[in-house]
Amino acid sequence: MKLTVNGTAHEVDVEDDMPLLWVLRDELGITGPKYGCGIAQCGACTVHMDGGAVRSCQVAAADIEGEIITIEGLGTPDALHAVQEAWIEHQVAQCGYCQSGQIMAAASFLETNSEPNDADIDTAMSANLCRCGTYPRIRAAVKTAAQKLNGA
Amino acid sequence: MKTRFFIAAAVAGFTGTLAWAASDEITILPPAEGSVSVEQGLVAWGRIYEVASHPRCSNCHVGDSNRPMWSGPSYGKARPHGMNINAGESRIGAEHIPCATCHVTNKTGGNSGAHMAPQVAAEWQLPPVEFEWNGKSSIEVCNQLRDPERNGDRTCMDIAGHLDHDVILHWAWAPGGGREPAPYSLQEHVNDVLAWGVSGMPCAND
Repeated sequence: MKLTVNGTAHEVDVEDDMPLLWVLRDELGITGPKYGCGIAQCGACTVHMDGGAVRSCQVAAADIEGEIITIEGLGTPDALHAVQEAWIEHQVAQCGYCQSGQIMAAASFLETNSEPNDADIDTAMSANLCRCGTYPRIRAAVKTAAQKLNGA
Repeated sequence: MKTRFFIAAAVAGFTGTLAWAASDEITILPPAEGSVSVEQGLVAWGRIYEVASHPRCSNCHVGDSNRPMWSGPSYGKARPHGMNINAGESRIGAEHIPCATCHVTNKTGGNSGAHMAPQVAAEWQLPPVEFEWNGKSSIEVCNQLRDPERNGDRTCMDIAGHLDHDVILHWAWAPGGGREPAPYSLQEHVNDVLAWGVSGMPCAND
């Protein structure tokens, strides 16, 4: 099957029910998306599919539609996405394992709500778990990223 | 009227054994007018309410909190959906995190693993807020479902057709993941809706 990830077209020979996360990590060597739970309970595997955030562990290969964007394709070291910039400014990560999922979820959320308050952020981000408990920094970084995206 | 539907599991090559992936067939054949008494209609309604109030159905028929419920034998104490989930006024989660982020639209077979986010071949969502009946009594839901203002302006034939066409509803009878399915079967439920309708949509408070 064919799929496009971060602007690059790929062809892989996989079973139809292989999760997208497996395709990315094991077939394509794109290891930014992390395996946390495998059952959509933690958010560590979050990527964008056709413009929206999805848990890549829950997307069967045959159900892939549209381009896939992973943390590797969200920004580059020379041109970071606003969420990535904010993450660095707030030094959000502790162990970092959940952070690519957090950033991909936040980037998707901010495309639909450009001026979120604390409650909005908590509602949007509560399905992304961080066992280091970096939630206060995540919330602050999402607010800063919103300001950056709004040109402030 | 006989309607045949094949869920998109027929996508070439898929050979999974997931719970709801099988093809299904529903017959919408109402009893003859006048052939169902009010008493029989009320018995049919009793079974309809068993389905409507079952967690596989009622967990999503919530009000303007827009928060789906987690309840039923496999969930312990009833509580709102974990992860602070709120489907918003859009009822699809568009305001914060779309339901489809985890309940991915799956055209190839769904997923049946324990504790996984259920999936169907349609966009996962809550029903319109007007169709709130979680926690309501049989009489309340009965009057609601026969009121065109609160049932989407549907006749009993329309309700049966809705049960036929909406694959999220089909999931209730094949939820996978160790979840208890709604009682009876989709066909038996459709038959009850048709019988209740032909009997005049009676409710116990009439």
